[in-house]
Amino acid sequence: MRPVFAFLLLALICFASTKSESDFEEDDSDDFAEFDDGNFYAEPAAKNADSFSGGAGSSHGESRDDPPAKEPRKQAQNQESDEEDGLVEDDDEFEHFQDEEEFEGYDGGDSKDPPIDQKVEPKLNIPNIPLHFRTHWDSYWMEMLMVAGLLAYFANFFAGKAKNARLAQLWFSTHRALLDENFALVGDDGKAENENPGLIKESESLYTLWCSGRTCCEGMLVELKMIKRQDLVSLVAGLMRPQLDQAHIKIELTRGVMDAFVFAVGTKKTITKVFKEYTDLSKFCSLVGKPEDRYNVPTGFGVLSEIPEATSAILESRIITALNKYQSYIDYLHISDQFSGPIQQEEGGTLKQPETKAVLLAGFNLPKHAEMETIKPLLLLIFYLMERLKTYRMSKEGKAKSDKNRQRVEEEFLKSTHAARAEAAAQRREDKRKQEKERILADEDPEKQRRWEAKEQKRQAKRNAPKMKRLAVKSL
Amino acid sequence: MNMTVDPRRKEKINRYKAPKNQGQSGGANEDMMPDYMNILGMIFSMCGLMMKLKWCAWFALYCSCISFASSRASDDAKQVLSSFMLSVSAVVMSYLQNPAAMTPPWAS
Repeated sequence: MRPVFAFLLLALICFASTKSESDFEEDDSDDFAEFDDGNFYAEPAAKNADSFSGGAGSSHGESRDDPPAKEPRKQAQNQESDEEDGLVEDDDEFEHFQDEEEFEGYDGGDSKDPPIDQKVEPKLNIPNIPLHFRTHWDSYWMEMLMVAGLLAYFANFFAGKAKNARLAQLWFSTHRALLDENFALVGDDGKAENENPGLIKESESLYTLWCSGRTCCEGMLVELKMIKRQDLVSLVAGLMRPQLDQAHIKIELTRGVMDAFVFAVGTKKTITKVFKEYTDLSKFCSLVGKPEDRYNVPTGFGVLSEIPEATSAILESRIITALNKYQSYIDYLHISDQFSGPIQQEEGGTLKQPETKAVLLAGFNLPKHAEMETIKPLLLLIFYLMERLKTYRMSKEGKAKSDKNRQRVEEEFLKSTHAARAEAAAQRREDKRKQEKERILADEDPEKQRRWEAKEQKRQAKRNAPKMKRLAVKSL
Repeated sequence: MNMTVDPRRKEKINRYKAPKNQGQSGGANEDMMPDYMNILGMIFSMCGLMMKLKWCAWFALYCSCISFASSRASDDAKQVLSSFMLSVSAVVMSYLQNPAAMTPPWAS
């Protein structure tokens, strides 16, 4: 009876253990140490773990290794079941590990593997590589074009730069003798010691020359504005709008050398442009209608004149001859005693009239084929004009007119800036008062402060009081 | 036009003063090309770097070239150099990120 009871107890425990299978895996076997009759309690768990690892493993290798290891376990299980009838349930519980549907390739992995034929080469599928990973230099034609463009640009840069430098030097060497005859100082770089007398390179297309030390004038600045040969883009743009190499001469006349008048002559295009641009021309001058008939200037030229008498005196026969002869080379001549540069934009509300200078400006086109000798007489023309300005004196009427004009312009300026000036004056007064207040407050004398406050209040009251005329009431 | 009297006067020599304000002397003729190109180059470089547009990076390089070619001698060389470096880095970075060849706008 006793062995039967023991068997029943064992069967009951086994049933309980299979029910809590997961717990059994995790728990230590110590919990069941008291029932430890053999090692078959641990076996289902070990088998379980094995089978799980076999089922979870996706590789065929693992599954192939498993079945031989499984066989003895299976046999042991069968033996157990033979011995112990009460453990039949246990068998059914682990039977699903052999189920092919649930554990694919677990049992029959060997049979399912395709046979590898050593003789036939395996077919390799090469996926299409994206286009940009192929190093075909042909596909980089845009980049090559860009680099070629850059190379062309730089080649042109060096060639153009050299040509501009050569042209400028040619101009200078042609005019050098004439300049030396007229100026005590030819070529100055502005440094304490004149390191390199001659042309100053402002940019690759702009060269300047400063000459000074002559009667009638303070100095002469020659600007050689070349076509931007160093810049390929400008060259291409020049194909659409042709440009010319130009020499701009600016002579600052000594104050009082010339009479007060403003005058300009030049190609119509330039004249209309400078008429709008320069303050003195736009304020003092008017465009002369039919200048060809009136002053005999060549056709295609325009004249801006302030005082007709001065204009006709300047445009005398020798000048007219020169204008006719060098028509294609002369861009403009501008004589002014009120030159203040281009019209300034009204930004800061300038309260002071711009400083004016007496100048003689000229713009010449340089000949196309570098024949600098052809324009040499133009510099002589400039010197002649200077001498002419020195000797020419206007009549009384002309002077009166010019004075009137200058007065008119000044009045206009004062009128236009009246509001701004009033505002500035008010601001100044306010600042002064603030300063005074600070001074009084800083003072330690309270009596003084009180007095100042009273005075200030009185002033404020007077300011705020309505303005009215005081009427004298006549006593009847 | 014979110069009978020597017009030269040594006592009247004035040294050259570079105009303080370029706008005063040059006026409207003042060349603003280098400045515009500098700014344009920077904008293109930024577009090239940020938006990974290769043609922008190339244009930036061209703009800095034009800016360099038409810059004044008195201008700050550092500015031109930095604009150059920026545009070159825009080109290099855009090809490092994507070494694919540039496609012309009409092809895409």
